Amino acid sequence: MATSAIIFYVVATIMIVFSLLAVTSRKILRAAVYLLFALAGTAGIYFMVDYYFLAAVQLIVYAGGIVVLIIFSILLTSHIEEKMEKPDSLKIILTAILGLGGTAVSLYVITNHLFTPQPTTGVEATMSTIGEKLLGYGAGGYVLPFEVISILLLAAMVGAIVVAKRNKPENHD
Amino acid sequence: MSLQELLLMRHEWLLIAAVVALLLLELNFSEAKKTNVIPAAAIIFTIVTLIGFLPSENGRAFGGMFITDPIRTLMKNILNLGVLIVFLQSGSWLRTQNNFNRVTEFYLLIISSVIGVSYMISAGHLLMFYLGLELLTIPIAAAASYEQYKSKSAEAGIKLILSSAFSSAILLFGISMLYGTTGTLYFSDIKLAGELLTVLSFVFLFSGLAFKISIVPFHLWTADVYEGSPTSITSYLSVVSKGAAIFVLLIFFASVFGPLQEVWQQVVYGTAIFTMTIGNLFAIRQQNLKRFLAFSSIAQAGFILLGMVGGTPLGMATVIYFILIYVFSNLAAFGVVVAVEQVSGKINITDYNGLYNTNPRLSLTMMLALFSLAGIPPLAGFFGKFFLFTAAAESGFYTLLFIAVLNAVISLYYYLLVVKAMFINKSDAPIGYFQSDYSSRIAMSACVLGILTTGFYSPIFEFIKKLCLESF
Repeated sequence: MATSAIIFYVVATIMIVFSLLAVTSRKILRAAVYLLFALAGTAGIYFMVDYYFLAAVQLIVYAGGIVVLIIFSILLTSHIEEKMEKPDSLKIILTAILGLGGTAVSLYVITNHLFTPQPTTGVEATMSTIGEKLLGYGAGGYVLPFEVISILLLAAMVGAIVVAKRNKPENHD
Repeated sequence: MSLQELLLMRHEWLLIAAVVALLLLELNFSEAKKTNVIPAAAIIFTIVTLIGFLPSENGRAFGGMFITDPIRTLMKNILNLGVLIVFLQSGSWLRTQNNFNRVTEFYLLIISSVIGVSYMISAGHLLMFYLGLELLTIPIAAAASYEQYKSKSAEAGIKLILSSAFSSAILLFGISMLYGTTGTLYFSDIKLAGELLTVLSFVFLFSGLAFKISIVPFHLWTADVYEGSPTSITSYLSVVSKGAAIFVLLIFFASVFGPLQEVWQQVVYGTAIFTMTIGNLFAIRQQNLKRFLAFSSIAQAGFILLGMVGGTPLGMATVIYFILIYVFSNLAAFGVVVAVEQVSGKINITDYNGLYNTNPRLSLTMMLALFSLAGIPPLAGFFGKFFLFTAAAESGFYTLLFIAVLNAVISLYYYLLVVKAMFINKSDAPIGYFQSDYSSRIAMSACVLGILTTGFYSPIFEFIKKLCLESF
């Protein structure tokens, strides 16, 4: 087996295991840390398919920024010592069946699909082409989504204010 | 990029300008005068809505990421009208002690959400569609937990954001499969063949949108969120958010998923039956009027699917027409609920006992709204439903039509329960006479006018039909 294949399977196994741990762990801080490994594994996959820029972004933004943000907000808001309640076994069984069934269907369909390989020659994802595409306004340019995201961020900030702004303590129900 | 091309995004520019204007107003009003934002926002949004109706040009901008044509403009205008009515109805609620220091935020959240609606409808690229969908939902999830001093409102916000995150994940998986098969995200470049993977990607994309429309079996969040949210947000969710998702579904069926018609016809057929029946059966059992309207809106979504199932331009036209009527009817009902809740804090159907004796005009509005939702002639709702049924019949779906008619009868029963409570049931302590504020009376009159005239004034339907025949 080629080295790259071995690396791929190792990274993929890490991702699957840590993703499962992240959603099944009953301690919220541990779940956040497991998520970090799952995200770092994704960056590894990006490196393997030569998406260096995306891999760097994945490491910096997701593994670096967002996980730290999640951990911060956990520390600020909740009791880390608390364990999540154990869901009853019927729920676990039903979710497992549903999850496995969904995975089986998706896997069956994807593995049986004849993908046509897209030629990548001539397209070099250098920093400058990525920058030009990101701010380009012709076909294949992404400046419009880029700007719409800024509106989304503004709305999210206003939303955070609405959720967090406390009122006078009277009028509790 | 020319100015001409930028001006194609007129709706979006106007809405963004409204957001900026409101931010500036918020900065300049002192703490005590914050409530002045309420009339200002109503005026600003009236201007936005009116300018939206001016004739517009067709075209594409940003290399095909943004598409506009008369039918999309019409969809945006219908939804803007709905938002305007929601704004007019929410004034007295925003003035209450608990909310008046966060008034501007309410408007900012809703208008941001409408920007999302506009971009989603005009999307020519799956990324734009997805961003629009998120921009539609995230601010509304915050707005649903607006009354954080009530635990139910906080619960509604959390439920909405979690279920929408879940549905977005499914939708994104579908989009990535579509990208995997076609290698492009531009609507115009996607050429689908009937492979299994594209079918699966359609199913995932449909599920994501079905969450927003609350089609059965993706409706489980609806009742709780509708009940917990502030009533103004509930009316936004049930009219604008739902209408936007239905419009996008129409566009998808006509463009990207056009070649898969045989597949989506079966999906729509099945979900239509479940949505109508389950929505109706659960609506009968509800006592809380907001939950009642939640299930009634689920059932209405089922009827809407009836117009889509044929996949004909005529069917699409009936759907758009029905949504226009649905905006008026549902918002009239919600307007009454908001007004009564504001004065008395009461929300159950039994609380409405004897309402006709104390508040005859309000009761008449509610009656017209419910009759229109039920589809009783000569109100607009009758024509809406009749056209939907005709569209299904023309495509030969007689079994579906039969089930739909049965469901229409069931729905008549539970809508009449509310009317009976208001007009016939006696109550020892009915809700006293009250007069709601000026703006909500304007909104309710506009709704009633809409209910009474949209059905009879046939140029409206002819206009929608003409646009649909041109573009689908």
